[in-house]
Amino acid sequence: MTPLIQLNGVTKTLKGQGAPRDILSGVDLTVHGGESVAILGRSGSGKSTLLSLIGLFDRPDGGQYLLGHRDITRLPERKAAALRSAEFGFVFQRFFLLKHLTAAQNVAMALVNGQGWLPRRKRRAKVMAALEQVGIAHLAKQRPPRMSGGEQQRVAIARALVREPRVLLADEPTGALDTETGRLVIGALHAATERGCGLILVTHDREHADRMGRVLQLDNGVLAPATERVGV
Amino acid sequence: MIRLSGRFRSSLIIGGQGIRARKLRTFLSMVSLFLGVMAVVVVQAGASIAERALLSESELREGKDGTVQMYVASHAKAVPVTLETLRGRSDAVATFGTQAIIGEPGVTPVNPGGASFDGPGGYSPYVTCDESGCHNVDAPTAGQPPGKAIELQLTALTGDVRKIRPYRLESGRWLDFSSAPSLSPGIVINREAAKGFARHRVPAEMRIDGAVANSTPRIIGVVDDGGFQPAAYVRADELLTWLPETALVSGRGQGVQVLMAPSATGLEQTLRARLLAAGMPAGQVNTNRVDAREHAKTQLAIMRWIFLGMASLVLLIGVAGILNVGLATVGERIEEFALRRAVGTPRSLLAGIVLAETLLTGLFTAAAAIGVGAAGLHLVSTLVGDREPFLQNVEFPWQAGVAGVIAGLVAGLLGGLIPALRAARIPIATVMRA
Repeated sequence: MTPLIQLNGVTKTLKGQGAPRDILSGVDLTVHGGESVAILGRSGSGKSTLLSLIGLFDRPDGGQYLLGHRDITRLPERKAAALRSAEFGFVFQRFFLLKHLTAAQNVAMALVNGQGWLPRRKRRAKVMAALEQVGIAHLAKQRPPRMSGGEQQRVAIARALVREPRVLLADEPTGALDTETGRLVIGALHAATERGCGLILVTHDREHADRMGRVLQLDNGVLAPATERVGV
Repeated sequence: MIRLSGRFRSSLIIGGQGIRARKLRTFLSMVSLFLGVMAVVVVQAGASIAERALLSESELREGKDGTVQMYVASHAKAVPVTLETLRGRSDAVATFGTQAIIGEPGVTPVNPGGASFDGPGGYSPYVTCDESGCHNVDAPTAGQPPGKAIELQLTALTGDVRKIRPYRLESGRWLDFSSAPSLSPGIVINREAAKGFARHRVPAEMRIDGAVANSTPRIIGVVDDGGFQPAAYVRADELLTWLPETALVSGRGQGVQVLMAPSATGLEQTLRARLLAAGMPAGQVNTNRVDAREHAKTQLAIMRWIFLGMASLVLLIGVAGILNVGLATVGERIEEFALRRAVGTPRSLLAGIVLAETLLTGLFTAAAAIGVGAAGLHLVSTLVGDREPFLQNVEFPWQAGVAGVIAGLVAGLLGGLIPALRAARIPIATVMRA
């Protein structure tokens, strides 16, 4: 079976004002459709950098990045934007919802992005289906300031799911939530994998990580299976 | 229906959302832009109205561009040769000017010299012309008691002059040159003369210096001839029933003017040759071609560009306002734009969103300025239209609307360009570092 995502010896060096620093030094990662992978690591270990490479926010300095059979290591920005829209869904620690838009309009943001055009009726149906998927369809007309943190994060997940991506990338999505709400959010993300979507979760929380199919540890720029595992 | 591209629709939708989210800021941007757009609308509207009024007036007084005017000085043979040459022609008209007094005989008219009825003083100089030239003379009615009479400039026409000078018929009818001449001359008066006849009831008796007898004129219509002094038009053949041809070019007769349409090729040379053959000195036949409209257009265009230049400076201040607000807004929306890039929005669309907002702001401002301009013009027309004829029933010129929309769009484009470029350059990693 062809892997959904394949990173081979990916490297990334930060070139700031000081001396260059190797953040990723030969990362190998393979993710299949329907698989969930958690990436653990200390702060500054490069988890978010790895996620931004996978999500085509940035390009690796070395190595190879395959999406299916396609080599997307050096993709021009225009094509990267199209791929981000079509193949990836993103969930961030901060929800990044626009306060002046309703939950439905926030979700529709991923559909009204200049990558193709859906008539209003179809757009609305897709938005409502995504909200239904995360269990907050009744909040479609609410604006973010009137919603709880968990509800807001679920709106953000609906936004990530509305284009039915093949890969879901979540960067510490429970960081701003209490434990119970965090479990609900992880459950909503995990549910997406049941429809064949690959999930890569970056987290500090070992409990949430253990709910994923695989747990990896990023240490000194190298990705390796995590040694310790608590019960799921 | 025009199918708009998805990217264009997206920028309009998101731009509209941005405007709704920041109503006060949009309103303040519109306020800063309003004066500039309004200035452009007013200048363009003023120029269009002035152009229409001036060009139309110049056509009434001078004739359509391309018309050849021939001035024939006072000479015994001038009238018969001109009448003979123009007989049966519809592309040229001879006009013979003289003064006439309608009303009681032997009195000084209410407007001596044919002055306008509202003009201060109002005395026109009395001029007499002969072969040696024209000279000021005493008023023929000097010393006579004031009475019920109106003096006006009477112009005898050999044909329908409206093909060359498009006088606007206000009431009644124009002179009918196809019927047999009447012993009671039918006259068409201008607006100023109509004003005089409305104010003063005078007997229907017309005196003309040199006439064999006083005639009984019939007023058959009123025209707007662009003149400010009372005037009347009469068929030359009806006037010549009472007035010898020589009287038209002597005494208070003002000589002959021949108006030739541009299509009257060869007539100028024929008439000039016949007049010279009849003994008229060559220096007393002068011609010129009317280009008043072109001349006035050029002058108006210069004025319009000067005023539009000043309006553009005011507009530039509005552009600076939009630019300032746009830069501040983009600074506040860094995370939003980074997020939009994260969900696949291309850089060009981000720039398009910012431009859509400023362009829509410019369009809204233009709509407001056009609305205020149209309402203001309607108000001015209602309030002072009676005093200023060119403002009567004046409509808001479409050129001013177009200029307002263009000004709004240009201001939106200039004010939004730099913020749009900044929005497109916001790094996508902002959402990861937040």
